[in-house]
Amino acid sequence: MQPDTDEARPVSTPKRPRTTDAPTNGAVNGHVAREKTPEGTPAKKIKSTPKKPTADTPAALKASGLKTPTHKNKAKALFSTPTKQTAAPDTPTKARNADRSAKKKSARLLLEQDEDEIWDGADRLAEEILQDDDDTALQEPTPANSATNEDGVVPSVEAGSEEPAAGDAAAPTPKRRAGRPKGAKNKRSPTPEGDLPAHERYFFQNRAGPPRTSNSNLSKVNLLTHEEYFEKMAQWVDPFQEEKALLLDLHCRSFPQWDFEFDQGFNICLYGYGSKRRLLQEFADWQYRRHSHDNEDDDTTSTAASPPSVVIVNGHTPGVSIRSIFATIVTAVLGADIPSKMGSQPQEVLELLQSSLNARDSDSPPITVLINSIDAPSLRRATNQALLARLAATPQINLLATADTPNVLLMWDLNLRDQFNFVFHDCTTFASFDAEFDVVEEVSALLGRKGQRVGGKEGVEFVLKSLPENARNLYQLLLTELLSASDEGHLSDDEGEDGGGGGARGEDAAGIEFRALYQKAAEEFIASSEMMFRTLLKEFHDHQMITSRMDASGMEILGVPLAREEMEGVLEDLVLA
Amino acid sequence: MDAVLLELDAGAASKDGSQSQGVYIYRPADKIKSSGERPTKRRKVTRTNVPKAANSRPFVSLLNGDEEAKSIELRYRTYQQFWSAQEAKIKGILDDVDSEVLTNVLSFVRSTSPQTYDGCIPAALVTVGSNVSSLGRLLTRLNGQLTTTGEGGVIVLESGDAPNLKTTLKNIIRFGITNTEGNEGYQSFVTDREGPRVLGYDLDLLAEYVKRKEVKKLVLAFRDSEAFDPGILADLLSLLSSWLDRIPLTLIFGISTSVELFEGRLPRSTVALLRGRYFEIHEASNCVDRIYGRIQAEQDGKFWLGRNITSVLFEKSSDSFQTPEAFSRTVKYAYMSHFFANPLSVLLADDAATTIQRDKVCEALRNLPSFRRHCEDTLEEGCAEQVRKLLDDDAFLLEQSAQWLKSGQQKMRDIFQCVDMVQRALKQFNIVKKSSISDLSIRALAGELQTSASYEDILRAIRTLDSDQMKLFAMILPDTLTDSSDFAQIQADFGALLQVYKGTGPLKSGYDKQHSIVATTVVQQRVKLSKAKVKLPKENAEFTNIIDRFYALLEARLEEILIRPNDLVLHEIFLLDMRNPLKEVFSPRPRFAVERALSSPFDYLISSPGSSTVKVSAHQPAAAILYQLYLESGSLVNVHDLWQAFYAVFESEQGSSCDERTAMALFYRALSDLKALGMMKSSRKKVDHVSKTAWMGL
Repeated sequence: MQPDTDEARPVSTPKRPRTTDAPTNGAVNGHVAREKTPEGTPAKKIKSTPKKPTADTPAALKASGLKTPTHKNKAKALFSTPTKQTAAPDTPTKARNADRSAKKKSARLLLEQDEDEIWDGADRLAEEILQDDDDTALQEPTPANSATNEDGVVPSVEAGSEEPAAGDAAAPTPKRRAGRPKGAKNKRSPTPEGDLPAHERYFFQNRAGPPRTSNSNLSKVNLLTHEEYFEKMAQWVDPFQEEKALLLDLHCRSFPQWDFEFDQGFNICLYGYGSKRRLLQEFADWQYRRHSHDNEDDDTTSTAASPPSVVIVNGHTPGVSIRSIFATIVTAVLGADIPSKMGSQPQEVLELLQSSLNARDSDSPPITVLINSIDAPSLRRATNQALLARLAATPQINLLATADTPNVLLMWDLNLRDQFNFVFHDCTTFASFDAEFDVVEEVSALLGRKGQRVGGKEGVEFVLKSLPENARNLYQLLLTELLSASDEGHLSDDEGEDGGGGGARGEDAAGIEFRALYQKAAEEFIASSEMMFRTLLKEFHDHQMITSRMDASGMEILGVPLAREEMEGVLEDLVLA
Repeated sequence: MDAVLLELDAGAASKDGSQSQGVYIYRPADKIKSSGERPTKRRKVTRTNVPKAANSRPFVSLLNGDEEAKSIELRYRTYQQFWSAQEAKIKGILDDVDSEVLTNVLSFVRSTSPQTYDGCIPAALVTVGSNVSSLGRLLTRLNGQLTTTGEGGVIVLESGDAPNLKTTLKNIIRFGITNTEGNEGYQSFVTDREGPRVLGYDLDLLAEYVKRKEVKKLVLAFRDSEAFDPGILADLLSLLSSWLDRIPLTLIFGISTSVELFEGRLPRSTVALLRGRYFEIHEASNCVDRIYGRIQAEQDGKFWLGRNITSVLFEKSSDSFQTPEAFSRTVKYAYMSHFFANPLSVLLADDAATTIQRDKVCEALRNLPSFRRHCEDTLEEGCAEQVRKLLDDDAFLLEQSAQWLKSGQQKMRDIFQCVDMVQRALKQFNIVKKSSISDLSIRALAGELQTSASYEDILRAIRTLDSDQMKLFAMILPDTLTDSSDFAQIQADFGALLQVYKGTGPLKSGYDKQHSIVATTVVQQRVKLSKAKVKLPKENAEFTNIIDRFYALLEARLEEILIRPNDLVLHEIFLLDMRNPLKEVFSPRPRFAVERALSSPFDYLISSPGSSTVKVSAHQPAAAILYQLYLESGSLVNVHDLWQAFYAVFESEQGSSCDERTAMALFYRALSDLKALGMMKSSRKKVDHVSKTAWMGL
């Protein structure tokens, strides 16, 4: 956020009043501190400002004046300040607002430093922010800026040198703490914490205490439906098409290398951000071309020039099983001679595969298996990985797998790594995962709004129309129970802090226990046996009209993925029908 | 199966359809490119001997694509030649390493039976530690031995084979029978038997197999015995023990932790069924060191791995467990990358001179940094003509470079001989308990062996040698150090001295501790220690003289030999010293790569200048913007605020032209990406919040 501060400030009107007293502040501060420092600032404070000059001879100032800009430069490089021409002076951005509050905060931080000085990073950041502020503030009243460089530099040096010692300088800077309650220093700030090392940042962000995030939620925002998402994405033109194509091309150039690695008995794992389906497709194409080309070259008379067998696996496809992968490879090896019965266990199919590979000529080309997303949830399980490792360890099988997640290496222990015999290549493509993920679905799941899939109220009503009387009655019962339950629950919800969740999420909290619903259903003569009851529920499940989850005690809780208003609507229609 | 077939056909039919398919056999999209008029439908894969030569050139043309096929071929052949030689050495070492354990285990298997153990199952407990691959090697060789003699076989069971008792039994039986009979044999064994049909997990099958084949020993090995479910293992063992009279079983447990821990996991009743012995396989590091020594220090070496690679190799095997196989594969990769990517590696071939393209090769030679440095040095010495000739005359350059190559290789061999000598000397003088050739090699390859502590220790030790030790030491000295007239002279003098010497003990030099006296005198109330040499007998004085000469000579020679290999001319050809392909390829950092791609996308997307300097801007890919905003948030993220911030980025830069819904679509996509990368998951703490699960740089 910091980069914006420099360019945007000159026109930021709200800051005007401060600019006038900033130099005086600096002077006062400087004066006080210059007298103070030699005598008795605590050792810690000295430590934090070891190089700052205490004498005010012009020479010393100049020297330090030279020092400060470099310090600032460093900070700039760190945050990569944009060039001036990109400044948009007339649109106050959110970023700048954030900066302003960051500045207030950092001023406060410096003031209350006595308690806080253990935590060093924020001080530094605060110093930097304030320093920026003072710099520009000083330059503002002298737009002509003919007052020579030194004028600009000198006060900034002072400001810089004073801050750490400014414990007693609260009085001169009252404005910066305006409106802040005194004890609020432990409040979490959403602003970044400066350049903390990664582990410090982790602990900082995970310290105990209630979450300090705003209470705003997405209820006002009109979320995307599948149709709208696809429509928008179809219209959208990727500004990076060229770069991505270049990147892909770059990876394609390593195909001969991969081929050589295969040839030498290695398997390959590609990692990096972006979907690698396209790349794999290209590789398969390339292999096909190359090897059939080779055969033509060297062996034109042989009509039996065989294409390399390439089997492609899409890990993200739901329902892909290890057994089906092995079975397909067996088909690729044996062609039409596949045995009628391969066995139901993946191990058995693998055995069959291995023995049929052994039975082949040693000359026959190896089978190339390309696995998209070997770390996809369905393949991720340890047993599956162990089986894939055994596949990879089979001679005559060349395995190329792609991995999307950053922690993919954790899947494999020493033994598996040994069997996989992977060489790794960074193949960042930046390609979108369109084929892999159902984006809208994923986001809904992330937000806990999965139910929006069904098509809402209309969808449910449509399904209900086609169901028998009994099922409709059951659904009506379920809705009634849920609504009455959520009526009770709602009261307590409102008492809670985050009652803002409101209707959209009401169904998530409300639910009815499976047993209880069955009891009611039996009482109402909707279902005479549990068997029947389950059959009815299954129909709802199939249409995603109900949700079911296990609560902490292991009881099955049934719910409806609809908003409260929608539930009421459906119920109304059901009762009226 | 039909379902799979249908899938396959669909896969062949349309490429688009393949996107949604789980598994399919790939067919190229445009048939024109695939060769000839091959029928497009799936064919039976029959192979009449496709010549192996067709695929034998995986190398690509280098030197800007100007390299000739002949030269590529030669490069490839040289690679194969070099590596197959090294591979044979490695295999020899690996065979040698566990041969002792193998004989022990084999004799254990042969000598024990339930009868000798009072009805208990004979069990060999093999601790492997981190050396996991060794057990596999051991079992393979054991199996080979047992099957060739017809005694029986080894059934290797992994934890994955034992999800439940039924499957475990089925697997045991199947592995046991297919081991000798093959898959068809197993099928026919199960189906073509008399009497009632038995199920696949009926141990009757195995008993009948044993009877029919007259198997004497059936070894059942649990490779990763800790990973087996103890319950299943207990059931299995009790079952097996009841079949012991019909199936002559011996068990082998591979144990990575300790025998006590393994025993502790099993119920006492199960432990009571077992009786056996305990074997230990040595740690991998020892083996790795030996392999490295063989590969690098052999006297027929022509190509070496440099300092950086060596340190990568050993970093990896010391930081994380690494099997010897993995180690040798890493070495192999280093060889591969050298010959694959360095066109000049062709000069390492024996008959390089006849096949190479002179002009191209010479141009490449002249571009080598070491060649340039050499030219500059020569110029400074004032031999401008020589340099001119090197630059102009291709033939002269080739001739010279052949010489340089030879002498460079000789120097490398000398260096490794010295390393070898130092290591042996360290062992002989008992200076350090454990000296590994790898540490010394790294120092030598960096040209720093002279400054190392062990080197100085050796030189110090040489001075205090007595005549017997001296004789021994002279024997371990490599030829390169000894083939000078000076040394021969010293040898001769030494011999003559020993002839004359009549004393009983070995001769001691003047540097020996016995020959110096420590005198204590009290001077001004302070104790003053003064050392004084005793007067030496004549022989000892002469011996001291010899030692002095020897010492000086040795030091001078070593100084001469232990140069920095990277200073040699044309070292780029016979010394591979790049850290990077190896490190990236074998110790990848996928997390770092993803984080880098998202936090500074322009490292990857080479884009128009200017846009790369801004930190967060709408000119970046959506996921990168979102990721950077995400990084700034705390452990709990408000999605609404995240969306607002995301939108603000677009809004501030594109102004009114920014379409909110499109931005939201992008936001959706980025959000789903981050979720898929495991960086956020939904949170129940607050409405519309997600929790952050990844911190950059951790």
